[in-house]
Amino acid sequence: MDDLIKDLTRQEYKEGFVTEVEQEYVPKGLSEDIIRLISSKKQEPEWLLEFRLDAFRKWQKMPQPHWGHLKMPEIDFQDIIYWAAPKSDSDRPKEIDPEIEKTFEKLGIPLKEREALAGVVAFDAVFDSVSVGTTYRKALSEKGIIFCSFSEAVREYSDLVRKYLASVVPSGDNFYAALNSAVFSDGSFCYIPKGVKCPMELSSYFRINASGTGQFERTLIVADEGSQLSYMEGCTAPMRDENQLHAAVVEIVVEKDADVKYSTVQNWYPGDAEGRGGILNLVTKRGICKGSGSHLSWTQVETGSAITWKYPSTILKGDFSSSEFYSVALTNNYQQADTGTKMIHLGRGTRSRIVSKGISAGHSENSYRGLVRMNPGAAGARNFSQCDSLLIGSQCGAHTFPVIHNQCPTASVEHEATTSKISEDQLFYCNQRGIGPEEAVGLIVNGYAKEVLSRLPMEFAVEAQKLLSVSLEGAVG
Amino acid sequence: MIERTYIIGRDEVPCLVRLGEGESLRWTIVALPGTSCRLSIEIDLDGPGASVDLAGLYLCRESEDVQINVLLKHNSGGCVSRQLFKGIVGGTARASFDGLIYVKQDAQKTKAYQENHTILLSDKAVVESRPQLEIYADDVECSHGATSGFLNADELFYMRSRGIREEEARRLQMISFISPVAERLSEDLKAEIYDSLA
Repeated sequence: MDDLIKDLTRQEYKEGFVTEVEQEYVPKGLSEDIIRLISSKKQEPEWLLEFRLDAFRKWQKMPQPHWGHLKMPEIDFQDIIYWAAPKSDSDRPKEIDPEIEKTFEKLGIPLKEREALAGVVAFDAVFDSVSVGTTYRKALSEKGIIFCSFSEAVREYSDLVRKYLASVVPSGDNFYAALNSAVFSDGSFCYIPKGVKCPMELSSYFRINASGTGQFERTLIVADEGSQLSYMEGCTAPMRDENQLHAAVVEIVVEKDADVKYSTVQNWYPGDAEGRGGILNLVTKRGICKGSGSHLSWTQVETGSAITWKYPSTILKGDFSSSEFYSVALTNNYQQADTGTKMIHLGRGTRSRIVSKGISAGHSENSYRGLVRMNPGAAGARNFSQCDSLLIGSQCGAHTFPVIHNQCPTASVEHEATTSKISEDQLFYCNQRGIGPEEAVGLIVNGYAKEVLSRLPMEFAVEAQKLLSVSLEGAVG
Repeated sequence: MIERTYIIGRDEVPCLVRLGEGESLRWTIVALPGTSCRLSIEIDLDGPGASVDLAGLYLCRESEDVQINVLLKHNSGGCVSRQLFKGIVGGTARASFDGLIYVKQDAQKTKAYQENHTILLSDKAVVESRPQLEIYADDVECSHGATSGFLNADELFYMRSRGIREEEARRLQMISFISPVAERLSEDLKAEIYDSLA
């Protein structure tokens, strides 16, 4: 069985290649001048530069948070390149560099609109600090849907961006959100107008390529009254011995009766078997169910990153709005994950559901951290949370840190958590029926995570299942 | 077997207990109405086969501030711990339960269970619950559950439709809610608690 655990820690990271393209950088380090430089490179309006500088001033006064159950390496914020882009005449070239296109092809992200895939998924691909292409924009714009890079949105839909930017995650929200607000480079912007059902899945794909850089993208999604949207996010990075910083902010505004589903398959480079390198994934994601009857659903599959610090949260403000959080977090080798959610119930009759499945193997640490808060006005609100942990091997840790805060005498909150391992009996049962140990573990883990995986859009579910079984090749506890 | 009942404010509750091989402990801790407290208990299970059965009850009707903090450390394998804490919180009271189960690396064959249930009676009261698990061994069976809710309206209706006065019906509901813990107490104390619910 020990051999099988060793096998597990020797898995490969097939997205770990580097693309050779000429890139341009801003100088290393962070100062007001660097922020002005980034802003001018992106030809941003004055108000956005002010927003950045304001956030930077707030950030300078903030201490780095250490409350996570994480052993965080020292981050030298002056040793990071805050903006890197493939060289081209403009921010957004007409023709995509063939090398970059090949990169995304290799990652399974088609940047050319193809007949076979027509009407299935529209992609916005972000390469280091810039968006290199957005597909199906025409088909979407016919329905009034705006789906473009953040920089473009700032230029063309300035009013919309200005209205919603930082309305869910204020610039001074936390250390990493403030940093992002100061230096954010690109990301996706999406607006679904009233009553429109988005005809295809929208997707952002983030790729870190350049060395010594950080990626700071910002995603803003606005779903107007009665609209519907399914959004997916994927990410990968090359294998390097250094830690690279990824500090993103995702904001989602869900108006009355709108329905948004946000899915993530996070596969950043997790570092090698000795825990060298890997991405530090320090992300703030938050949505607000603003109007009555609105709905926001988070689904995440986290298999990558050396460190994950991420709590997709929902503020349930509208009466009878609802939200869900489904998560599978898998850590291996020396990976550390501290992830969970926050459900803030403000409106009457609001409902939320949390299902979190943690899997730890190798020497990894996997924590669930969550908050369910019932404010006095949340009459009749309900929450149900379930957090399960699965341990594979005796060197890893699995932790659960939920907080329930109830101030409403008609609200009800339920939380339950269990920790277990794959039992000898389960394995024996499979082996006895001719299923090999590796396959059996894959089967058991997939069964364990099924409740979450089944929530993913089809294209992602296949990828996620593959990821889980690759990551768990031969794992037995 | 060390079996004891502690009434907060009347009895002194030990803040650290270490249990060796095969030792067991059964405690019941009660915070009666009118009691505010900050209680911290650490129980270390240092020898194999040690077991803990810990139950607690907190009743807050006015402006109490009750904070209960339990750290249960499984330093050795093969130990069992059970915790059950129940609270009824009304008025402008604040009650919080913070319980951490810590399972040390190689403390295999550990069984640890923890439950915290509360009933909130007023919109001025606040209930907080932090049931936590920190586990470094794989061959374990650990679970925790926490709920926070209110007295069921259907149950109330059922009793009222059978001629039970509303006040009495509520009292019966509360008695049934706390009885898993209250049943461990002496008859006198139980009667005192049940009367206080009126």
